[in-house]
Amino acid sequence: MLKKNALAVALVATAALTLSSCAGDKADSGSSPVSDVSTGTDEKAATVLDRPFEKPDLVLTDTHGKKYDLRERTKGKPTLIYFGYTNCPDVCPLTMSNIAIAYKKLPRADRDKLQVVFVTTDPERDTPEALGKWLKGAGDPAFTGLTGDFPTIQAGARQMGIGIDPPKKEKDGSVVSMHGAQVIAFSPKTDAGYVLYGDDTTADDYTEDLPELVEGENP
Amino acid sequence: MNRRTTLATAVALTAGLVLAGCSTGSGSGGPELKIEGAFMPEPVMDDMAAGFLTVKNDSGTADRLTSVTSDIAEEVTIHRTTGQKMQEAESFDVPADGELNLERGGNHLMFMKLRKKPEQGDKVSVELHFEKAGPVRAELPVKETTHNPKKQ
Repeated sequence: MLKKNALAVALVATAALTLSSCAGDKADSGSSPVSDVSTGTDEKAATVLDRPFEKPDLVLTDTHGKKYDLRERTKGKPTLIYFGYTNCPDVCPLTMSNIAIAYKKLPRADRDKLQVVFVTTDPERDTPEALGKWLKGAGDPAFTGLTGDFPTIQAGARQMGIGIDPPKKEKDGSVVSMHGAQVIAFSPKTDAGYVLYGDDTTADDYTEDLPELVEGENP
Repeated sequence: MNRRTTLATAVALTAGLVLAGCSTGSGSGGPELKIEGAFMPEPVMDDMAAGFLTVKNDSGTADRLTSVTSDIAEEVTIHRTTGQKMQEAESFDVPADGELNLERGGNHLMFMKLRKKPEQGDKVSVELHFEKAGPVRAELPVKETTHNPKKQ
């Protein structure tokens, strides 16, 4: 009896030691469910703006080298606009490819209506040819790519609440560019920018929302 | 006497368990690092690609990823993402009993001057150079352009 008690005490004591030596891990995993709650699965990818904003007066050059007036060309059409650059290895191709997957699932009539516009933030490197080639791979040949002089692009982005800095050359010759934080959807009914999507939006999210955006409805 | 022996054995046994369950890994040759969830999204450009992975460090010794090499590209750099900008980093910390996450929308490996455009289904091998653990080889399966596994 006594012997058994001693063993039990020893086991309990060391079990406690085992636990405390792993306390770091345990504390971490214990607190994670709290943060999981705030990122529930039914959270929407779309942010519908209380105060939509006007489409900027932006005149740039498209991938065919022709003048492209954003307001004129997208008037009364559902439009998605994103600011990025082709030397962007991760987020820009991810965003355009996600939109392209959803776009290809739309009925033909809806695809004809929806305008997807990619505006470069790195116009020096992104010539119309470079943009056209990139968009075919990253997005869809039907998408519009725009380039022009940086101050014009920056001013247009600012009017949509998108802040972009000019590309900066590093000492080693590499260029640091910047992409926009969000994709903006403009309504065919009002021509106003009314929905935002962050870079964690998936192809499935876009697939779910595009049919509503094409109609100018809230996703 | 008997009782003491039993106690000693119990302590010795459970001490062994403690070590196995929560290794401090202060052995020779630096921490043992494990590479998990590595992948490369199929690039859309034929000269540039990104790579993602997690470095797990179950040891009590912190380490640092200092450089990466690969047969597939003339240059591989490690990039830090701050806001919507990507910039070459000197190194990435691998914390003790922690992990280094290179994931979409965040820090990543950047492959420049590709010798061959990786296609979905290919495997790209890389050698990750750590300050203490030395070189660690890893394979990055090439996935679709939009591949983006859920964050842990």
